[in-house]
Amino acid sequence: MSPPVTTYWRLAGMSYLQYVNKAASTMRGALKEPAKTKAMAQEAFQYNTSVWSGGVQGAKTPVTSMGAAGK
Amino acid sequence: MLSRTAHQLIRRAATRAFSSEAAASTQVTLNFALPDETVYNGASVYQVIIPGTEGEYGVTANHVPYVAQLKPGVLQILHEEVGGGEPEKYFVAGGYALTHANSVTDVICPEAVKLDDIDATAVSSQFEKAKSAYASAASGSLEQAEAQVEMEVNKAMGLAIGVNLS
Repeated sequence: MSPPVTTYWRLAGMSYLQYVNKAASTMRGALKEPAKTKAMAQEAFQYNTSVWSGGVQGAKTPVTSMGAAGK
Repeated sequence: MLSRTAHQLIRRAATRAFSSEAAASTQVTLNFALPDETVYNGASVYQVIIPGTEGEYGVTANHVPYVAQLKPGVLQILHEEVGGGEPEKYFVAGGYALTHANSVTDVICPEAVKLDDIDATAVSSQFEKAKSAYASAASGSLEQAEAQVEMEVNKAMGLAIGVNLS
């Protein structure tokens, strides 16, 4: 049986989202102003985490790694 | 003889019905969306030329239903029939295109810009940087794949604005 048809980026362990975000990010890097600033603003994001106890939300701490956030 | 005449009549009626239906819808309804912006919502256009991973293809009215993953490339929108002016061109990083049975086409992209917004100098310098990163990365590594994505995107952008990179 022939091996399944796939892409080089999937073989290297990237998911489709990782691939397409990399492509979009590369594209944003090669834009002229003011399109660049506008596009780059779409790329930045961050997550906060907080623990609720007794119906009260605890302090928010920024998540630095998605791997660590799941623990 | 009678059955033959009846058959011909039915065929003629069927042809007429088909052609009037085709004449009624010569436009494609286009929905073109980015995460932060709706470029077109239900716009009536003549043709959309889509850069699919398996090849560039054009969608006009009554196209068969189709789903395609997009490659970094140029999306062209022809508002009027051929000869009705220059197509509107966007560079897209990737995404998906869906053509429905009722001439509705959805294009969803993570990012899209007008070709005029692409900086030729930045494209060349990014390409060279990615090329050397690709050469120095271990074969089959994630770094190498990322460098290859960068090379491909910059090459496609260069092609779109007439800068030849290799």
